[in-house]
Amino acid sequence: MTSSALELHNVSKTFSKDGHEVHAVQSVNLTVAQGELVTFLGPSGCGKTTTLRMVAGFELPTGGAITIQGEDMTNMPVNKRGIGFVFQNYALFPHMSVYGNVAYGLKARGEKDKDIRDKVKSALDLVGLANTENRYPNQLSGGEQQRVALARVIVMEPNLLLMDEPLSNLDAKLRLHMRTEIRSLQKKLGITCLYVTHDQSEALTMADRIVVMNKGKVEQVGTPFEIYSNPQSVFVADFIGQANIVELMVASVNEETLTAAIPEGTLFTARALKPDHHELTQNLYETGKRAALVIRPENITVGERTAEEGTFPATLTSAIFVGSHVEYDATLAHGSTVKAMVPFVRGMKIHEAGEAVSLTFDAGSAAFLPL
Amino acid sequence: MKSDPVLFTALVAVWLSFAVFIFLPLLSLLWTTFRVNGSFSFSNIRKVWSARYNVRALYGSLILATAVSISGTLLGYIFALAVTRTNFPKPVKALLSAVTILPLISPPFTSSISLTLALGPNGMLLKLFGIKNFSIYGFLGIWISETLTYFPVAFMVISAILNTMAATLDDAALSLGASRWRMLRTVTIPLSLPGIGNSILLLFGASLADFATPLILGGHTFPVLPTEAYLLITGMFDLRGGAALSFLLLVPALVVFFLQRQLLGKKSFVSVTGKNGARTEFAQLPKALVAIIVVVCTFMVALILYLYAIILWGSFVKVWSVNNTFTLQHYRYVFKHGRKAIGDTLLIAFLSTVIGSILAVVIGYISQRKNFLGKRFLEFSSLLNYALPGTVIGIAYIIAFNRKPILLTGTLTILVAAYVFRYYATGIRSVVASLEQIDPALEEASLSLGAGSLRTFTHVTIPLIIPAVFAGMRYLFIHCMTAISATIFLVSVRWTLLTTRILESMTELQFSQASAFSIVLIVIVFAADALMSGMLGLITANFQRPQEASYDIIGA
Repeated sequence: MTSSALELHNVSKTFSKDGHEVHAVQSVNLTVAQGELVTFLGPSGCGKTTTLRMVAGFELPTGGAITIQGEDMTNMPVNKRGIGFVFQNYALFPHMSVYGNVAYGLKARGEKDKDIRDKVKSALDLVGLANTENRYPNQLSGGEQQRVALARVIVMEPNLLLMDEPLSNLDAKLRLHMRTEIRSLQKKLGITCLYVTHDQSEALTMADRIVVMNKGKVEQVGTPFEIYSNPQSVFVADFIGQANIVELMVASVNEETLTAAIPEGTLFTARALKPDHHELTQNLYETGKRAALVIRPENITVGERTAEEGTFPATLTSAIFVGSHVEYDATLAHGSTVKAMVPFVRGMKIHEAGEAVSLTFDAGSAAFLPL
Repeated sequence: MKSDPVLFTALVAVWLSFAVFIFLPLLSLLWTTFRVNGSFSFSNIRKVWSARYNVRALYGSLILATAVSISGTLLGYIFALAVTRTNFPKPVKALLSAVTILPLISPPFTSSISLTLALGPNGMLLKLFGIKNFSIYGFLGIWISETLTYFPVAFMVISAILNTMAATLDDAALSLGASRWRMLRTVTIPLSLPGIGNSILLLFGASLADFATPLILGGHTFPVLPTEAYLLITGMFDLRGGAALSFLLLVPALVVFFLQRQLLGKKSFVSVTGKNGARTEFAQLPKALVAIIVVVCTFMVALILYLYAIILWGSFVKVWSVNNTFTLQHYRYVFKHGRKAIGDTLLIAFLSTVIGSILAVVIGYISQRKNFLGKRFLEFSSLLNYALPGTVIGIAYIIAFNRKPILLTGTLTILVAAYVFRYYATGIRSVVASLEQIDPALEEASLSLGAGSLRTFTHVTIPLIIPAVFAGMRYLFIHCMTAISATIFLVSVRWTLLTTRILESMTELQFSQASAFSIVLIVIVFAADALMSGMLGLITANFQRPQEASYDIIGA
């Protein structure tokens, strides 16, 4: 079969609240390949969970279409979609044992008792919970409950695995561990997976592709590398990783780059980025208008004050040693503040708050975005 | 949801039953009150209003309800403070809670009977202290008796809210330099205001509707509306006058009902924490207040226990206060001549409990989990018979069902229906409350695992709300065994009730017989209650409820 595992065509969700129309999700388009793990990333209220719940069938879209394995599922009841859903709070049935929970779907499907026993056993083995069949959810730790929730879903061999912030109730250390465990399980089973999270490092480390959402719309779809290094909007740049965003006046627009001026007169040239659907940088950037310079803290170096070309004079407002690197906050001469992260190497000089320094921006890593 | 045949069927069944057992009786009542010679008229109202005695009854009802709601709430608050805010030993607190349960599960006359035995003609206490010329009949007697009967409701409502407050609030107040009195005045009491308000309204409504107490203790000196309406109908066969009087009663009852919904509609600002922070203790109350609590609680507990002891004793003597020789003759009488009443009462209570619980689950479930047109109206309608005084419902039922097409007077059906649609309300409420606690994700999980909505309901929802269903059942059963205000109009030669037998004994001044009936009734209620909690224990034996916050079924 050549069809993709999941397709969303202009999927929208509008509901009315206190007489107002709320556009929770607006025209989302997405194609997910077989075996791919795609994360939905965005701030709370951006529509990522609503989108996931529409794919699951817990909510019906008010517009657009959803196909799973090439089959139209837009208005199909949840229990006929063949999906598996892992809930944020696991939603284990408190009145059933671990066995009862994992066997639940198989029983509903009407499978033979013996098959059910075998499948439950191997699913529990797979998540590393052998011999816990007779325990009840409240006798398990958070991590174990999470594994039972996983086993309960994968035992059904769903077409599509949907996960709604599954790790957000775990403590930090366990969360890191479960990330890799879920990812390797997903790869091993070759199962297609949609994964909602608001934790960007989770998205970056686990995903084949990331869908960044904001205010009900898709801001950008891409691999973690693309999203991080070529954000297509100020929102994405700001939301993924840390970024300094400095508004500058455009001095000249070139083919691929932009030159902008800092109020004191220093000129700075860097790549000009554009959203996918835009053809010409000309329409996005105009000489004399403002544009956003995006530069990651790790792409700024802090040095002794010099008058060298291409450096920016600044004053440090704070300097914090955090072990692997030093975090500086600096105020540029014209007033905007930037953050720099300099890797710590033994013997290097750590500047102090209040010191007058010069900042060097790595032009190759910096980029302009339209405001 | 687009097409949900199960929901549709449920809605049709529920609306049909409402039409027959809620709307038809009420409309018939209004019809009888306001339709004179074929046209709309206030003449019936004017007629009852012009009788001075009826006007006194209306004022009497309102004054009594005000007095009972204040005294009952005050007592309830003191008991609630004793249980939630003092360091009294555990057994003492358990005793306080247990004693307050007694009036709740007793037939409504219990305290009136025992007050009569203690302070009525030939009263034990009167003899003991040599008091002459004292009459328990009238406002004082009803007020004391109703306060005793209803303050446990105030206690439950207020202690629930006192329990949900975070103890850290006390710590915060004290650490900011407040004295204990100041803390009480500025933190504890303001935060419990919703509970106080709710308690006042509940008690006001209960007293307004109370029928049994004024009937026994009111006499002619202090008429109230429910008894007047009853006497008008049973004594003078004046159905129109009774209907008009019960309309006068209906108006304040509806006002109370609306106010209460208003109050409960607002989200409580007391947050139920339980996850964060270390377990802290509530701060101690001021010493003078503790002293008051000790005195009041000791007096009340002694009084309640004394009143129950006196009934027990009264049921074993030949003629109360005249011939105090021990006898079993009253119990022999109860089991010989009261056997039919016992059997009828049990059968009616059993049927009502089963039917009422099923309805409560259906109504509670659809109104909490489903969306459909007219949902708020359905919720409102479902509570109407409960909100209105029993007397009103009883009169409405005889008006509606004593003629064709639905001729039900004197049947089992009419008694069961009267109980079901009045007392399933608690069941609905506990089902709704329980569903609110259960994360819809559990049901979604079931659906996403391929189970249909029916299987989800039977395998996930029902097992999770079973404790709530049982809570509603217990309440329903107790009320079916003890309530009388509505059904006094509906009993017949074919079907009679224990409570009516008690009333008959009282009006014949057979106090000892009435006591024996009461004791039998209380024992049956206790036994049935124990049986039901035993059953619940069996059902949920394997059912590991989440303890503390290690796992919560409350949605994130």
